[in-house]
Amino acid sequence: MRKYIAFLLIAILGWTLATTFKAIPFGADRRGDLDHPDKVAAFYLKESPEVLQTANSITAIVVNFRGFDTLGEVTVLFLAATGLASILYRRKEEDVEVERVRLPSSGLVRTGAKILFPLMLLLGIYVFIHGHLTPGGGFQGGAIIATGFLLMLITYKHFETNHNVMVWLESLAGLAFVAVGLYGLFVYGSFLHNTKSVGTLNDLISGGLIPLIYIFIGIKVGTELTNILYILLKIKKS
Amino acid sequence: MVISPVHYIVAPLLAAFAIPLLTKLYKDAARLVPGIVLFYNVVISFELMQQVLKNGIINEVIAGWKPPWGINLVLTPFTAFLTTMVSVLGFTIWLYGFRFKRTLKGGVVKYYEILQMMMIAGSIGVIITGDLFNMFVFIEIVGITAYSLTAFYRERNGAEAGFKYLLIGSLASTFLLLAILIIYTQTGTLNMAQIAERMGSVPQSMKITALIFFLIALGIEAEMFPLNAWAPDAYEQAPSPTSATFAAVVSIAGVYALVRVLFTLFDVSGVHNYLIVMGFITMLVAEIAAITQKNLKRMLAYSSIGQVGLVLIAFGIGSKLAVFGAIFLMLNHAVIKSLLFMTGSYFIYNSDDKRLVGLNGMHKQLPYVSALFSLAAFAIVGFPPFSGFWSKFYILISASNQKMMYLIIGILLVTIIELVYYLRAVGRIYFAKEEMDDVAHKPSLNALVAMSFLALFIIIVGIYPDIITGYLSDAASSLLDKMHYVQQILGSK
Repeated sequence: MRKYIAFLLIAILGWTLATTFKAIPFGADRRGDLDHPDKVAAFYLKESPEVLQTANSITAIVVNFRGFDTLGEVTVLFLAATGLASILYRRKEEDVEVERVRLPSSGLVRTGAKILFPLMLLLGIYVFIHGHLTPGGGFQGGAIIATGFLLMLITYKHFETNHNVMVWLESLAGLAFVAVGLYGLFVYGSFLHNTKSVGTLNDLISGGLIPLIYIFIGIKVGTELTNILYILLKIKKS
Repeated sequence: MVISPVHYIVAPLLAAFAIPLLTKLYKDAARLVPGIVLFYNVVISFELMQQVLKNGIINEVIAGWKPPWGINLVLTPFTAFLTTMVSVLGFTIWLYGFRFKRTLKGGVVKYYEILQMMMIAGSIGVIITGDLFNMFVFIEIVGITAYSLTAFYRERNGAEAGFKYLLIGSLASTFLLLAILIIYTQTGTLNMAQIAERMGSVPQSMKITALIFFLIALGIEAEMFPLNAWAPDAYEQAPSPTSATFAAVVSIAGVYALVRVLFTLFDVSGVHNYLIVMGFITMLVAEIAAITQKNLKRMLAYSSIGQVGLVLIAFGIGSKLAVFGAIFLMLNHAVIKSLLFMTGSYFIYNSDDKRLVGLNGMHKQLPYVSALFSLAAFAIVGFPPFSGFWSKFYILISASNQKMMYLIIGILLVTIIELVYYLRAVGRIYFAKEEMDDVAHKPSLNALVAMSFLALFIIIVGIYPDIITGYLSDAASSLLDKMHYVQQILGSK
């Protein structure tokens, strides 16, 4: 009986969603007048190259127009890592011997991982440094870095990083993000206010504080996701 | 330095990011720093409330982009009142929990304090933001911290409650995001004032779908029937200071979000009746469930849901007096329910199953805590001369002004149910025949100060309600005056 009610509810929900979203034309241009914007999308497209000197409009939206949301999302990730740590942390104290993988990988995988690891870190760093120019940015770059660590963690039985360095990097990156925001508050009177841009549009040095913030986000996301992997990847020793 | 609403968020964030480093330098930093930050929030909340009452709505712009282009933080008399209330209670709960469970090993305290502080900061964020998506982000922050704190004690029931909360909370987030998406495609903006302005041109079918999704999502956050199954488990399993925070801070933020969306964004008729009906069912079901509980914290949890139901009824009546009563009741609920959780947790501190039987004869071991618990129990039922009396009184008067006689009868009947189980609990403390041999945990000085402060508030407001009715009446009219809100936010274009 419960099953049928559940199916019925899902069917009603599906029908509602389908009819609603059918009425919203997919891919249609709804930006309105670009020169005199009255919707935020048009405004963002107009202002991000002109005022913010940022080639990648999405980055301009994520880091500046809606930078406060991004700070919130970084915090969500930080709190997720903290919450996970608070729940899973105590295994260490309970003296349960843990290991990360049961079976050692073959020589081929180990050698391959060793070659790939620095390249993955490099790609991650590249992605977040160029966040204001090319697709990608802090979150994506951080995720790539964490993937590199994941590769090492599942390949080697005893791969450890310096936990202290990770904690310092993570905290300082978070504090730096807030500090950049406070700089805007003190100098321009508005939290996360961007500075006047130096350099030219499309150059590496452009966009004011936007690239700087994305670098901090990249470091924070990278270390945080890596920490989450460290917390999660523990099996009781058999 | 000029203080502004963004400090509410920035100070806790700085502290949260810094605590992992500070604990390396000084071991007790994790316990102290949140207290300093929460106290700072109390100080600025009083200052900002004075400014709002003197100079009108504060509209702070983030990143230099004026609304509707950027994100803005808004303090109206209503939100300023709620933030002050949440800040004061947040600090009081910190004070209460300062030495709570000293047995916790060092490393874990750090996580607990960060999560607890950010739960309060996130709730303030929900209340002060003027942007719909930003509200979603803060609801996420509150959610993530609440799930982790529910499962904090890492036992089977805690994990189950946390997981249940996580699932239903994620459902709420999904629906909220869908609703925001629909609104955004139709209005091309996320600023709440501008959405309110453009809502008239949105097709009716879209409006209804978005409204239903908002009601599902925020109904989950506000513990509205039938979406509140997570709440009793979460309240029961979380550490006691966290249960108090759920009642005093998180549920307030949930109700606020629901009310803001329904009152400011939408102009659909019939929503008010829906609030009255659902609020009444919420209250009735919760109070009937509360009377059957054998576990103290579960009983208090169901009672919390019942109070929220009454708040929703009062908002549903919708007249100025009713909204005034609703905000008054939010305040009373936050203060009294946290006092109940604070005192109640001492009765069951050393018992494993937290059963009501553990209350038997506790007045001999904990005379002061027992007195405070009884005071809070009488106050929440609505005995004069405690503060709980006035909020119920105003709600009933507003219902009678609207000629809703059945509603009045219903509320009074439910109050009788409430009376029964609270008196039963108080009766156990003072008059139980068979006594348990549990040794009670003596409260520490800081907890006594925190509990006495709340009790004093209940008595003073009960005797002189005039000291806060002025604020409440400003808050109520600012919530109802939608045009003024829109003009103040968008006028500064």
